[in-house]
Amino acid sequence: MNTATEPAPATAIAPPPGDDAAWAERLAARDPAALREMIARHGATLHRVAYRMTGDAHEAEDIVQEAMLRLWDHAPAIAAKHAVGSQAAARLRLGGWLKRVATNLAIDRLRRARRISGGEVPEEEDDAPLADAVIEAGERDNLARALVLALPERQRAAIVLTYYEELPNAEAAEAMDMNIKAFESLLHRARTALRQALTAQGDAP
Amino acid sequence: MSVNEPDPGLPIAPGSPLARVLDGYRAPDLPAGFADRVLAAAEARPAPLPELRRPARTRRWRIGQRIAIGALSFGALATAAAATGLLEQLAIPVPSAETVWASLTGKAQASAAPEPLVAAAAVPAPTPAPVVNEGPIDTPEELAEKLRRVDQVRAGRREERRAIIDQRIKSEIERRGAAGLRVPTPEEEARLRAKIEQAVTAREQRADAAAAARREAMQRKVENGEALTREDLTGRKPVIPETRERLRGLRGLSPEERAKAWRELTPEERRLVTEELRARRAARLSGQPAAAPTAVPPQDTPPSE
Repeated sequence: MNTATEPAPATAIAPPPGDDAAWAERLAARDPAALREMIARHGATLHRVAYRMTGDAHEAEDIVQEAMLRLWDHAPAIAAKHAVGSQAAARLRLGGWLKRVATNLAIDRLRRARRISGGEVPEEEDDAPLADAVIEAGERDNLARALVLALPERQRAAIVLTYYEELPNAEAAEAMDMNIKAFESLLHRARTALRQALTAQGDAP
Repeated sequence: MSVNEPDPGLPIAPGSPLARVLDGYRAPDLPAGFADRVLAAAEARPAPLPELRRPARTRRWRIGQRIAIGALSFGALATAAAATGLLEQLAIPVPSAETVWASLTGKAQASAAPEPLVAAAAVPAPTPAPVVNEGPIDTPEELAEKLRRVDQVRAGRREERRAIIDQRIKSEIERRGAAGLRVPTPEEEARLRAKIEQAVTAREQRADAAAAARREAMQRKVENGEALTREDLTGRKPVIPETRERLRGLRGLSPEERAKAWRELTPEERRLVTEELRARRAARLSGQPAAAPTAVPPQDTPPSE
C-alpha cells in the first residue's frame, strides 16, 4: 500500500538487470555520486519500512543511514562477487540487499529497546487539542500504529513488506532471510493477529 | 473458528475495514539534506578493512568439511580400537590386512586358507597296510618292495598326525567355548593352523632328507650283495629286552613318577615309548580297540622317522 503523497516503491524504478552490478562497481570505486543515486533510488523505501517497523522517524533515519553506509562499506566485496558481465551480476539486486539490511537493523533495534525498557516500545501520544477532522485522522493513524506496533517484530516486518511495500512473498521472504513456506506461515499469523486486534478494538468501549 | 467464518490469516483485501485502518499509518518523507548527511558520514568513515586472506567458505563446503573430519576421526578411532585389540574383546572379527588384500586381489593367501587341513581332517586316516617282511632283505627288488611299504605307512602316519592336530584344535575350541572363554577368530585359527602346518612340513622335510640318505646307503649295500639288518632299516640300534621291560614298568607309575622316570630314560628308550603311544593313538582314532603293546617289536615294523 502506498499513499499518493509518498514516492513510488523502489520496484517501480528498478534498474534493468545487470545495472546494479555497475552501481556496485562505482560504489566500490568510492564514487559519491553513486551513493547519492542509491539514496535517491532506495532511501524512501527503506525509510518507510524502518518507520513502520519502529514507529519513530528519527530511528528510521538512523536505520536508513546505517544501511546506506553498510552498502558503502561492503561495495568492494559485492562488486567482486558480482563482476559486471558475469551471471552473478544479473542476479544482483541492491534494493533487496538494502531491504534485508534495513529490516534486520530495525528488528535488532526493537529487540534492544525491548530489553532495555522491559516491554514494548512506548508509543508517542499526542495530547494537543486538534480539530475534529485532524482528530479523526489522528485517531485512525494512532489505531493503525497501535495495531502494527503491537505485533511481534518479525510479524510486523512481514506486514510492512507485503502490505505496505507490496512486495511479493518470495521477495519479502528473501528480505527476511527466510524460506517461503516459513514466511507464509509467519504472514498468516501476522494477519490473524491484526484482525483479532482490530476486533478487540471494535469491542472495546 | 467455525466452518463458515473466514480464515483470519487470508490476505487483507483493499477497502476492507482492516485495510482502511492500516492505510492510516502514513510514513513521513525523508528530510531534506538526508543524502548530504549520509555522504558526509561516508566520507568520514574509515576505509573498510581488507578482505580476509581466506575467503569465506560456502555452506556446502563447510558441511562437506565437517563430514570429512568426522569420517576421518571415526576411521582413526576404529583403527586404534582394532590395533589395541578392543574389537576382538567385543567379539567383533577384524580381518588382517593380508586377508583384506587377498580378498581384493583375488589371490588366495597361504596362511588364510585352512581348507587343505580341514579336508585332510575330514578324510579318515587310511589304516596302514600290514608290512610283511620275509627273511633278510638282500636284493634290490626286496628293498624296493620294502621301501614301497614304508612309504605307504609313512603316508598313513602323516595323515594321522594331521587328523590328530585337527581334532585337538577342534576340541580345544569347543572346550573354551563351553567354558565361556574367548575363542579364536577364524583368522586366528587360520594363522595357528598355518603355523602348525609349517612346523609339521619342516619336520617331514627333515625326516625325508634323513631317509633319503639312509636309503642310498641301503641301496649301495644291497647292490654289493649284503643283507640289510634292522639297524640299517630303522637307523637305530635294536632295543634290548631289559629296556623294553623297563619301559613297560613305566605304565604303572603316577604322572610325577613317570615324568621323573622319563627323564632318566635314554633317547632310544624314549623313542620306543613314543612309538608305542603313537600306535595306541592311531588305533583309538580309527575306532579300533587299542592293541596291547607288544613285548617284542615285530620283525616287519616300519622304520620310525
